[in-house]
Amino acid sequence: MNLSTVLTGRNILPVLAAGFFLMPCTPADAAPQRLEKHFAVKGRPVVVIRNIGNGRIEVKSWKNSEVVVTGTKASDKIAVDTEQAGDRIDVTSSVVDSSANPAEMQANFQLIVPEETELQLKTQTGLIYVEQVTGDMTLDSVAGDVHLNEVSGYIIVTTTGGSLVCSQCAGRLEFSSISGNAQVLQPALNNVKLRTMTGNILFDGDFVRTGLYSMRSGKGLVEVRFSGSDSFDLNAQTATGTVDNQAAEYLKPDSHGARHLASKFSKSLFGTVGAGFAKVELSSYSGTIRILKRD
Amino acid sequence: MLCGELEVVFEQEGLTPLSPEARQHLSECNACKHYFDDVTGIVALASGFPAEVEPPERVWISIREELQRENLFRPKHREAKSWWQSFEELFWTRGLATAAVAGMLVIAAFSAFQEPRTPVLEARDDPFSSTVKVLNQQEHDLDNMRLASTTGDPAVDTSLRQNLQQVDEFIADCEHRVKEVPSDDLTREYLTNAYQQKAELLSAMMDRGGSLN
Repeated sequence: MNLSTVLTGRNILPVLAAGFFLMPCTPADAAPQRLEKHFAVKGRPVVVIRNIGNGRIEVKSWKNSEVVVTGTKASDKIAVDTEQAGDRIDVTSSVVDSSANPAEMQANFQLIVPEETELQLKTQTGLIYVEQVTGDMTLDSVAGDVHLNEVSGYIIVTTTGGSLVCSQCAGRLEFSSISGNAQVLQPALNNVKLRTMTGNILFDGDFVRTGLYSMRSGKGLVEVRFSGSDSFDLNAQTATGTVDNQAAEYLKPDSHGARHLASKFSKSLFGTVGAGFAKVELSSYSGTIRILKRD
Repeated sequence: MLCGELEVVFEQEGLTPLSPEARQHLSECNACKHYFDDVTGIVALASGFPAEVEPPERVWISIREELQRENLFRPKHREAKSWWQSFEELFWTRGLATAAVAGMLVIAAFSAFQEPRTPVLEARDDPFSSTVKVLNQQEHDLDNMRLASTTGDPAVDTSLRQNLQQVDEFIADCEHRVKEVPSDDLTREYLTNAYQQKAELLSAMMDRGGSLN
């Protein structure tokens, strides 16, 4: 049986049917594409990622003086450009075809960087995950969450709706969001500034001596869990919310003799735990402020 | 130096450099120190706003078409622009509008903290009215931009819109409280921050709309 025989008469139907089912469902340019780049660095590198599309950014560290960027992009409708200038490495994704749908605009990045690296990462909806990196970092996301594990430095996190989980972080942390939550767990941070309009805040850990801690939520819950060995001055205020003091036995009147003038238009709680070495300011407009000692 | 004299120094000479007398007063007066920190913070925030960027031509075309469709605008041909029209066009750029919001907030902060407040309700001008006006104008501009923008991730757009709604609700809540209790400084602080966040959010949404065109 030759080809012309196959393609004639009733034999052609099964062939066409098979061809139809074997035909790829998506165009060739929509297939995920992988990239991998290696950048040798000398000192402490600065890595900048601007992900205009959507996707996850994951950063881990190693002891080598090399930055490895691997990633996938969903289609040719999004371009990924990399650039190295000395110890600065820029990775930028951009939409090159405005007809791209959200699935085609996705770009995910995995980075391996030296332990001491500065980071500037920006994405739209994907998760930003950073682990065991020391260095200043600026992390921006619209709806994506930010997870930090064992990082230290001056950390600035800004989201619109994304939440922050910061585990075993050290240094200085600033978080600003509209509806995102913030969880700071087992930190060694000496300067903390957490701001969210409708999200919740949880600080579960020790207060470093001489540390400054400011946490405020417009409508959400602000909860602080401290240990019995902590030492801090507390100032908690809410305009229309409530202050839930579950640590009354640990909270003593301010031992430094500072005058606290409580506004008659807000509910306030002042006190000192231990010798009052650190300073903790908690505030909420209409949410609850809860203070309790960890078990 | 008295509190009133320090305010005159701020108005006439700016926030820095401060004279030794002004610094001495700040170190002794908590109210002025608090006020100085607030204004300095707002100015620092304003300096961080993005540089002025002209929106793409298609945005203006879309706005013009929409205004014509609603009979709110008729095109004038070959007519020399007045100085006021030129100024109006300049103000339409979102970078300037954002900076204007920051400027209004500075003025509002001056007004809010300058005069000693009495604990009774009093009929006085709302120091935030100019800020609210500019923000509403920006929001209106954003609605027009949405007409021109058809691409983008719906999940991101939805998130931004939902957050804008939450900010608006929070602002309404705070404004209501401030009307009821004008001397509630904590609420005023939250309200000021909410205006700033709204300005930043609108700016981000406009940038996003522009970048997709």
